[in-house]
Amino acid sequence: MFKRIFGEAWISIASYKLRTFLTTLGIMIGVAAVVLMVAVGQTVQNVIDESFASMGGNLLIVLPGASSSGGVRTAMGRWTVSRQDMDAIKTLKDVQTTSYASMAGVQAVYGKNNWSVNVTGTTPDYLSVGNWEIERGIAFTDRDLKSAASYVLLGQTVVDELFGLENPVGKTIRLQNIPFMVIGTLKSKGPGLTGDDQDNLILMPFTTLRQKIRGSRQPQMINIGFVKVETEDKLDAVMQRVSYLLRARHHLKEMDEDDFTIRNMAELVAQVKKVGFYLSLLLGAIASISLIVGSIGIMNMMLVSVTERTREIGIRKALGAPNKWIMTQFLVESILISFMGSFMGLVLGIGVSQIGGAIFDKNVPISVWTVVVSVSVAIIVGVLSGIFPAIKAMKLDPIEALRYQ
Amino acid sequence: MKKTTVVSVKDLKKTYFMSGGLSQEVLKGVSFEIDAGNFVAIMGHSGSGKSTLMNTLGCLDRPTSGKYILAEKEVSKLSDDALASVRGQTLGFVFQNFNLLMKRTIADNVSLPLLYQGISKKECYERACQMIKKVGLDGYADRIPSQLSGGMQQRVAIARALINHPKIILADEPTGNLDSQTSDEIMGMFQELNDEGITIILVTHEPDVAMYAKRLIRIADGVVEYDGSVKDYFVKGNK
Repeated sequence: MFKRIFGEAWISIASYKLRTFLTTLGIMIGVAAVVLMVAVGQTVQNVIDESFASMGGNLLIVLPGASSSGGVRTAMGRWTVSRQDMDAIKTLKDVQTTSYASMAGVQAVYGKNNWSVNVTGTTPDYLSVGNWEIERGIAFTDRDLKSAASYVLLGQTVVDELFGLENPVGKTIRLQNIPFMVIGTLKSKGPGLTGDDQDNLILMPFTTLRQKIRGSRQPQMINIGFVKVETEDKLDAVMQRVSYLLRARHHLKEMDEDDFTIRNMAELVAQVKKVGFYLSLLLGAIASISLIVGSIGIMNMMLVSVTERTREIGIRKALGAPNKWIMTQFLVESILISFMGSFMGLVLGIGVSQIGGAIFDKNVPISVWTVVVSVSVAIIVGVLSGIFPAIKAMKLDPIEALRYQ
Repeated sequence: MKKTTVVSVKDLKKTYFMSGGLSQEVLKGVSFEIDAGNFVAIMGHSGSGKSTLMNTLGCLDRPTSGKYILAEKEVSKLSDDALASVRGQTLGFVFQNFNLLMKRTIADNVSLPLLYQGISKKECYERACQMIKKVGLDGYADRIPSQLSGGMQQRVAIARALINHPKIILADEPTGNLDSQTSDEIMGMFQELNDEGITIILVTHEPDVAMYAKRLIRIADGVVEYDGSVKDYFVKGNK
């Protein structure tokens, strides 16, 4: 029985090819837009996640200088936090490890090639804190830190610019005319959130930087400190402890402002993720509008169809069609149209998003979830926009309908 | 041979209620019986209640009061779907304007009443082809109505009316849209069907067409004005 209704519905919509196609187009564009926008939002979120994964969720950042004091920055840029402060923080409860760094911009030279690059002087733990992996060679050690060894690790961009296809491990490069041995290279991370090149860096022991590159009167002072906390829920407690410890070590009186700033990375990550989520939601919502417009198109078409086919309905009823049959046929027609539209939209949306992903060299995920939702939406849209016209068709009086010209 | 009654209406009344509390009584108590195998012409001026009577006999409408027994079944109080079922199984309709589905094939049109009785697509097609042959349109099964002349379209409609082996064929002005020669053809066909034993109820306002019938029921102002032999009515100049 249902097979026959389905057949009748199919013949009906197939006999109005252009109209059916145009109506289908509305749903198709709607579904494609939703699929595409959700994919874009998902991709943006993934990029954010990847970028922040490198920083780790349970990370505190310690910066020298107060953030602000009554709107006036006080100790900013002053050397207020030392290596020893960071080592002391390491002994606090719930702290996994600490690291710190100081930076300098230098010109790196190898043979005929030279390249402008940022040098970060840091500790061996920086690799795990910053999510860096060694590609070739080895990392420097605590002993190298102690002895201020002239070892460097090169980021991928530096490798490409100075060495090309040559293996840099074991070679010597010159920074400010001082020779350094390349003991390893870092795995590429690709561009960061703002499109900056994260791979354009050189890592070396902190002590080496302070003694050989960046001669300073205060060689123990750091530019930035990292505190890795055991678990994320301990972040606030550790933040308190670090603050107490630093105030005590800096001999600050009760009235004094902090001469350091502690930032909670997890909070920042959560915030940016939230932005990403709302972005997806917004994109999805905008795309949904076109889906709604498409479904109104179906309803409109079905209503016109009922009016146009009034006589057909009358004939069918006169020849014994039960009300339910008439209603079901119109409902099935509407569902068929929205189903075809959403299937084509799904194909179009996935196709365009994958082509876009290929062009921008990003992995664009299409979740099963998107597919399931689009198909269910199609059926719901089909039923909702078909039910009113179907009831209208069902309620037609056969006598009136037969008389209709 | 004992004659069986297929249609029995008793004191049939139909009142239309309009907005504003107005009402109009269109049928004011109509009673008659029709035996199986009869050929009845229903005549009457427009506004006489002839169409309402036809709609009621065709189970397209319910009387306001009175009894209508069709093939031994009281149908005046049935639900929409039950009436639809009665129409599909007991009645065959032939309309003035043919009322074919213009986008469907002749076979689809002819087998339409079978569609709603759960008969398989294959059987529908086969039975449709038989009927198409019977009405002399062999080979047209896969054409569409617009490729056929008016007379041929009316034959398709007759084939459609016959396909469910109905007890009664109701023909509402079946020759109204046809020229006189084609009209004669179609009426000849009805006469043949009647000779085969099918009961026919024909609504017409043309005496020439009514002459094919055996019995005449003339409706005027909502009541039966004449009920008897067609020949008597016209020959005796009873007009």
